[in-house]
Amino acid sequence: MRITVDRELCIGSGACEALLPDVFEVGDDGVVTVLRPEVDPDVADEVRDAVAQCPTGALALASEGDGPAG
Amino acid sequence: MTVDALPPASIDLDAVDLSDRDWWAGPPARRYATFARLREERPFAFYAEPEIPMLPSGPGYWAVTRYADVEAISSQPAVFCSGRGAVSIQDIPADLNEFYGSLISMDDPRHAKIRRIVSKTFTPRMLERTVDSVRAVVDDVLARARQTAAAQGGHVDVVADLAAPVPLRVICDMMGIPEEHRAMVLAHSTVILSGGDPELIEDQEQQLTVFLQAGMELAALMEALAAERLERPREDLTTALVTTDVDGERLSHQEIASFFILLLVAGNETTRNAISQGVLALAEHPEQRARWAGDPGLDRTAVEEVVRWASPVTWMRRTATRDGEVNGHRFAEGDKFLLLYGSANRDPAVFRDPEVFDLGRDPNPHVGFGARGPHFCLGAHLARREIAVTFRALLDQLPDLEVTAEPDRLHSSFVNGIKRLPARLTGVR
Repeated sequence: MRITVDRELCIGSGACEALLPDVFEVGDDGVVTVLRPEVDPDVADEVRDAVAQCPTGALALASEGDGPAG
Repeated sequence: MTVDALPPASIDLDAVDLSDRDWWAGPPARRYATFARLREERPFAFYAEPEIPMLPSGPGYWAVTRYADVEAISSQPAVFCSGRGAVSIQDIPADLNEFYGSLISMDDPRHAKIRRIVSKTFTPRMLERTVDSVRAVVDDVLARARQTAAAQGGHVDVVADLAAPVPLRVICDMMGIPEEHRAMVLAHSTVILSGGDPELIEDQEQQLTVFLQAGMELAALMEALAAERLERPREDLTTALVTTDVDGERLSHQEIASFFILLLVAGNETTRNAISQGVLALAEHPEQRARWAGDPGLDRTAVEEVVRWASPVTWMRRTATRDGEVNGHRFAEGDKFLLLYGSANRDPAVFRDPEVFDLGRDPNPHVGFGARGPHFCLGAHLARREIAVTFRALLDQLPDLEVTAEPDRLHSSFVNGIKRLPARLTGVR
């Protein structure tokens, strides 16, 4: 599984970063950067939480083999 | 102190007027019993707009009380916009709307672009660096409160001596506002979010003028600072506002002024009331206070419960951009909706025993920072930190703090405010 970000929707709320600072970081441009896009199975639940909690729905999970649209 | 719950059946819904600001200053038990009835019977209740001298009243608004409806509206910003006004029930002239609402009363894409200028400053990672400074501010505020108490036979005001100075100093530090201007910042920010409370705005006919004057004074402070920062940039929010480009353009003068006012006002009024309401809630629930005092591990869930319980911002407005239907409720283009966060936060469809103040509540998907959507509170991480540090310090350093009288509540529908909360440090003789 891969984490994808819709940069138009992201407002840099940092909700994801609060949960998983090793995976997400809001950059200087105010939009989140996914530091580790491939989901580490050890933190898969937390990643799902982060995706679910994003206030603007900017994060998504794409399975391997999905197109770029996820 | 105890709180008496009020049976929802005792409320006469037809006698309730959410536009009456005095109703909001009444007993919280009545408010929450009313919300319970509205959620059950009139989840979209229609009210006439409050009258404000010099402003035309519009057609009225829907009060949205269920969690699911608040979420549904908040998460569809294209259908329910903020750009026609988010912090005022009346439509106010477009330039004023943007001036006082800034980002809050803007829609994407402009909203997102401007918000991103400061997003990073408010992320958990960046705030990590300000933890020590928040702690230093809180320690100093508490030490001063103890001195004040010593000079006044043990008496303090939780609002003026504890809850107000913490966020004021933190946000002013972040924005680089010199010490000598801070009392003025607090006074004007209180007026801007007074909701027209007659104690804060004496001449009711002149509400709008007083409110504008407060904004002008803050804008003038910003002008002086902005000129300085352009010459000598610093590591503060004000520098970010005056030096950052959006799509290759600097923000306009007015955009900078309104963003500046937003950060000051929102940074002050919300956290102040979360702290005041939290202190009151702990006084009313001594068993929860003892539980938190004895267990610092409770900080994370306790802070969320304080925010749920207080719901410092009572509502935000949205306006329909087209005809449609939401969760079975039909609406027309131009319809106004007030998303009542304090009601959503007590919706039994989402929260088990919502009328119970439980510092260990988990999960706690409250909408005290706004519901899902692009306007989710920019300062949420900062507020959490301020609240956590303040309560830990209060519990450790002022264990003898005792609320001695009922609070004076703000007469406003917009902010769940407390103006004064008398207390005593029983250890001070």
